[in-house]
Amino acid sequence: MRRSLAIKLVLLLFCLAEGTLRTQAGEIPLQGDWKTNGLVETRHVITGTEARNNPLRTKLETPFTGNEIYVRYRLHYDAKTLDTPTEDEGEFFVFWLDREEGTDGSTHAGNVPNIGLHVSNEQNHFMVRYNSGQEKFAEIVEGDREYQIVARLWKSKPGADQPFDQLNLWINPTGDDELSPHATISQKNAISSIGAVGFSTGRKTEYGDRIEVWDMGLTDSWREILKLPPKVETTAPAEMTVMEKTVHFDKDIYPILKNRCFSCHAGEDPESGVSLDILDEVLNQTAPRNADNSQLIQLIVKGKMPPEGEQKVTSAELATLKTWIDEGLDWDEQLLPTPIPQTKHWAFQPILRPEIPDVLNKSWTQTPVDAFIAAQHEENKLSPAPRAEREILLRRLSLDLRGLPPQTDSKESIANIVEQHLNDPAYGERWGRHWLDIARWAESNGHQHNRMRPYAWRYRDWVIDAFNRKKPFDDFLREQIAGDELTPYDPANIVATGFLSSARYSGNELDKEIQRNDILVDLVNTTSKAFLGITMECAQCHTHKFDPLTIRDYYRMQAFFAQGQPGNVVLSEQRERAKQLIAERWRIFDTVHHRMVEVRRRQGVPEPIYVIPKSVERGMQPEEKSRYNQLNKQIAELEQAWSFYSPVSAGTDLPVAPHEMRWPLPRDEASLEHRQTMLLVRGDPMSKGPTVDPGWPAVFGSTPPDLEQPRSALSDWMTSADNPLTARVWVNRIWQWHFGQGIVETSSDFGTQGAKPTHPELLDWLASELIASDWNTNHIHRLILNSATYQQSSQFSSENAAIDPENKLYWRWTPRRLEAETIRDSMLAVSGQLETFAGGPSRSHGSNCRSIYLLQKRANLPDQQLLFDSAKGIVSCARRRVSTSALQPLWLLNSDFSQTAAQHLAQRAGSVEKAVRLTFGRPATPEEQQILQTLADEHGLASACLTLLNAHEFLYLP
Amino acid sequence: MNTRTSHNLFDASFNRRTALKGMCGLGASSLALQSLLAEDAQTIIHKPHHTPTATNVIFLFMSGGPSQVDTFDPKPELTRLEGKDVPESIAAQVPKIKRAGLKNIMGSPWKFDKHGESGLPISELLPQTAKLADELCVIRSMTHRNPVHGPGECVALTGTASGERPSLGAWSIYGLGRMTEELPAFITMNLHNDGMQTPQAAGWNSGFLPTRYQGTVVNPSKGIQFVDMPQGVTTDQRRRELDVIQQLNQKFLDSVGQQSELEARMRSYQMAFQMQTAAPELFDVKTETKEIQQAYGLDDDTTKTVGHGCLIGRRMVERGVRFVQIRVGGWDAHSGIKGNHERLAKRTDGPIAALLADLKTRGLLDTTLVVWGGEFGRTPTMEGRGKGRDHSPAAYSVWLAGGGVKGGHIIGATDDIGYTVTDRPVKPQDLHATILHALGINSEKLTYNHHGLIETPLGVTGGAAVTDVFG
Repeated sequence: MRRSLAIKLVLLLFCLAEGTLRTQAGEIPLQGDWKTNGLVETRHVITGTEARNNPLRTKLETPFTGNEIYVRYRLHYDAKTLDTPTEDEGEFFVFWLDREEGTDGSTHAGNVPNIGLHVSNEQNHFMVRYNSGQEKFAEIVEGDREYQIVARLWKSKPGADQPFDQLNLWINPTGDDELSPHATISQKNAISSIGAVGFSTGRKTEYGDRIEVWDMGLTDSWREILKLPPKVETTAPAEMTVMEKTVHFDKDIYPILKNRCFSCHAGEDPESGVSLDILDEVLNQTAPRNADNSQLIQLIVKGKMPPEGEQKVTSAELATLKTWIDEGLDWDEQLLPTPIPQTKHWAFQPILRPEIPDVLNKSWTQTPVDAFIAAQHEENKLSPAPRAEREILLRRLSLDLRGLPPQTDSKESIANIVEQHLNDPAYGERWGRHWLDIARWAESNGHQHNRMRPYAWRYRDWVIDAFNRKKPFDDFLREQIAGDELTPYDPANIVATGFLSSARYSGNELDKEIQRNDILVDLVNTTSKAFLGITMECAQCHTHKFDPLTIRDYYRMQAFFAQGQPGNVVLSEQRERAKQLIAERWRIFDTVHHRMVEVRRRQGVPEPIYVIPKSVERGMQPEEKSRYNQLNKQIAELEQAWSFYSPVSAGTDLPVAPHEMRWPLPRDEASLEHRQTMLLVRGDPMSKGPTVDPGWPAVFGSTPPDLEQPRSALSDWMTSADNPLTARVWVNRIWQWHFGQGIVETSSDFGTQGAKPTHPELLDWLASELIASDWNTNHIHRLILNSATYQQSSQFSSENAAIDPENKLYWRWTPRRLEAETIRDSMLAVSGQLETFAGGPSRSHGSNCRSIYLLQKRANLPDQQLLFDSAKGIVSCARRRVSTSALQPLWLLNSDFSQTAAQHLAQRAGSVEKAVRLTFGRPATPEEQQILQTLADEHGLASACLTLLNAHEFLYLP
Repeated sequence: MNTRTSHNLFDASFNRRTALKGMCGLGASSLALQSLLAEDAQTIIHKPHHTPTATNVIFLFMSGGPSQVDTFDPKPELTRLEGKDVPESIAAQVPKIKRAGLKNIMGSPWKFDKHGESGLPISELLPQTAKLADELCVIRSMTHRNPVHGPGECVALTGTASGERPSLGAWSIYGLGRMTEELPAFITMNLHNDGMQTPQAAGWNSGFLPTRYQGTVVNPSKGIQFVDMPQGVTTDQRRRELDVIQQLNQKFLDSVGQQSELEARMRSYQMAFQMQTAAPELFDVKTETKEIQQAYGLDDDTTKTVGHGCLIGRRMVERGVRFVQIRVGGWDAHSGIKGNHERLAKRTDGPIAALLADLKTRGLLDTTLVVWGGEFGRTPTMEGRGKGRDHSPAAYSVWLAGGGVKGGHIIGATDDIGYTVTDRPVKPQDLHATILHALGINSEKLTYNHHGLIETPLGVTGGAAVTDVFG
């Protein structure tokens, strides 16, 4: 909607030198003026005085200080009176826009825009200028021709006080010339206000010159100045336009394929292995939406198919086939269904609760877990290690469950200590970190610009809290995958979707299709690994060679997530107010952005024109800027979480606050609503194949159509009792985090490429226990932690090692190095420096809180964390590796952190004896006492403490 | 606090053997030779797949993307077509990616001349490098599809845009092991981060390979992190501490029986101690002659940062660091390419030429492969009106020198304006295969079992060594 310009030419004030309608003497007087209609035009004839003169001028009703003004006049120069410098002096004539009207003979000061004609290179040219001698010229002026002269005078920085620093000129423009002026000049000291306009002649304008001007106009738009009809505002196209299909599979394509191809290329044993009755196979024979590049079409065109002797494809049929490919391969799954992959792979079979084995060594067994382990011991002639000493067990349980060394021995039973630890807030801080590895959680976008996500910490706290509150695993899963869809509204569920929004996201990606696809690829890969233990990556580009997963399965999985995206979702109950603040903030941003794009466009910057948010903010007027900052401040005060939110399927309509990024995802909800997921051939976002609906892999059965809340449906399926993977994968992870290795070693890959379970019955028994206990994680903990298997010592046995060198059958406890976080937290704990912190925005790397609360900026994780093999927060990390490098001892010995810890430990302990007790949780042996005391005597107790912090015994889960 | 003096407290003659003796003397006699061999299996040179032409690599990574048509790929047509649109025939080949501007061709502000006996054309932007033209093999046909810095850098150094796979350096160390125990095997230096592009950690990360193979980031003026002895700690005290740690550890090892990881940890303390001696020596460039310091430009504010990095790079190679990565930021000439590239050329040209010449004089160039290049090139068209060029991964130039490379040679070709590859396209993965090939690694045969999935350096995207690079 264009605002009409509040300037009105006061035409009556035109004072004319000559040639207006004049009543001649002797004429019969008329009653009033001539009646005119649109076929009559009024022309002003101007002649010269051979000096500066302002023969035709007017004031504006009020001075104009707006941001742009268009000027138009028409001109006719009598050829006889138009001379050139080669004949005489040449000509000068301008239209000016000035602050003051001036007098008949006054000249206009510098920095006043002039639009007219002037001499250049021995010719009279049209020109624009602000100052004499600094003209920009357009075409040559010819006599006896009618010209329409249009100029645009505008401010590159809007504002009443800003100069009209930009001036463009067109001679006889058409409506399409808006972005290609014929001459352009700029002047940063130009006037900022216009009070009067008029024409000037000059010294070169002789008495005899005859210049006609008419049709003067001042407006605020290109279309109005050219008197073009207003442009019909077209609605912005949806992000992906979907062509209307003209060819339909059943009616048009199926008969051709059936008659011409299927006799050889269909069914059980197709010719050359090419089946044309299966969509995935047809995709291999065609290029997406590109018939001419499709093998199928090329073979037909070359006459190679159908082969000699068979009836050829008619040209009409060929045209239909080509259209079909170009329109994206419409297919009828009912008529020619994609075969459901069949599999005998163990992990894809239903979980059948196994019998607890009957074993000989009954006295050894403490929980049913032990029966499964003992059965294998007996089968392989292994004998279990003796039970670990109590102090070792206390240390093992505390480091395993709390990530901290034990406090003083409470003399409680081990079973009670397990319960105490599970109820200790430190348990969530330790086990939450395990899950954050899986969730590839971090607090920045990653990639080049790597902007922070200031509200991502809420998900970290949600995960810690979920463990501490003993959230059943099915709820844990559902809230993370579909939290925004769940009703009634609970802000914690929105925070839970931080699992999805943890995807890396390049804020510097201009191509929105690639940007969104990158996120969706991450979501499919991470979700399927984390909960289902299947790697779907390969199916992104082609039907999985090994697993019964098709490329179609991959994109059906992607479709579950297609209508949502990450963002700062507002949790505050003041939703209406939040929406208003956010909308106004965007309105200011968009206005300035639009303005800056326009400026660049007029400056001749080729399309597409990009302006980054920082430049937009710099380009704001002071009043815009102050309001914008005020709004940002108010928005920042609203409680928010970095979450995944779909305006299409969310249970509650929630505001989404801006997130600073160079090239963010499109934010309009409509673009999400209309998104369709298309199969991408070879994973390339440019190679769009047929559209697909949300669905889980077909090998697991059919997905209901028309899902209103697709991710809720996905999580319902994942947590249904007959899903063969979810429970197996989760109990296996729990096992891995206790023992350092899973029953299935590849804990995020239960597919055919993954490892086989060492104890398949135990895995299934634990999985059925999980489901039977309503997905109670602690139930599984208890079964494991109270088992004789877990409570074994690490005593080595060469007999056992000869049979099972890697201890895959658990004939002893295998000590393992602590994770980066546990090393650091333990050092803080024993030295008495550990600060309690109950959650909230992440702390700086120098803080003494637990490591889980340190800021996790991608590619900028704490040094110590990286040195000791932490997860990197890029892709889901199923299991940490333990590597050994010389840089680790350098940190443990020389870093300020280690040195400070040693000093604090020395102060706290006061003696070698106490220091050993604090670090190792046991009294020192006489030999240790002696060597440590000698060191302490020579170099101080801190030196002895440093050696304790560097000892295997301190750094290993015993 | 003077860290340098604390370094001097180390007895330089204290090496691995004497350290071992010291510890054995204190009763750690059961620290069996066996365990050292177990660790050695991971650290000492592995047998290459074929005869290598290089033992070390110096990768000079020019972050931001130097313009091919202003450096190593002369295109006189640009001047003729100045201001015009990209000709239809070429435009049709330009990948449909954002930033690939097709309007307003811009000529190069620099003249090209033929250099050396080979007559290799190099622009006047790089006069010092040009003097070594006969050492360079220029690949003009580098190509990929990612026009964004971060992912582009990941492509250039890890092979894929996602940054989750191991870097080229990490694969090299995984494949061949270390040549020295006194310094990290893979060191990376990030110099001049004044460009907008933050260094991508993926470029030296180990991805799914164990962290042991990741590059150690080093600030050439500060040395290796945590290598300095804490204030007040003497070498004697440290030796005593190490002895005690060793004894405590041995007791633990005895109690839990065989575990090679624990033995490797004990060994790592030994290496750390050696590194504390070797690292300060490495970074002490004052021992170099005045001429050498001058040649690398250490006395000039413009060149001293890169010069220092290059000189340390040479010293690293001499001391057995296998893979040295030097990243110089700032080549991102979106506007005013003349000013930008002149500034960057001044920073790098002299020091890089000095490095090549110095390696050659010392006979190290025969076994050191030097690679120069960015994450992509730049458009032959002007970006906006600012006389700069936008990102363009469709065609760009890199060069290799030393390490068996055929000097004065050109591989591949681009169209008349240098926008697309017309002959012998080389993907970053192919370049990686080529570098690994020089090191004696067959990138299809080097495997790593990643939780059951057998991975190779190039992954599913594949690639092949450009063997005609070698003489």
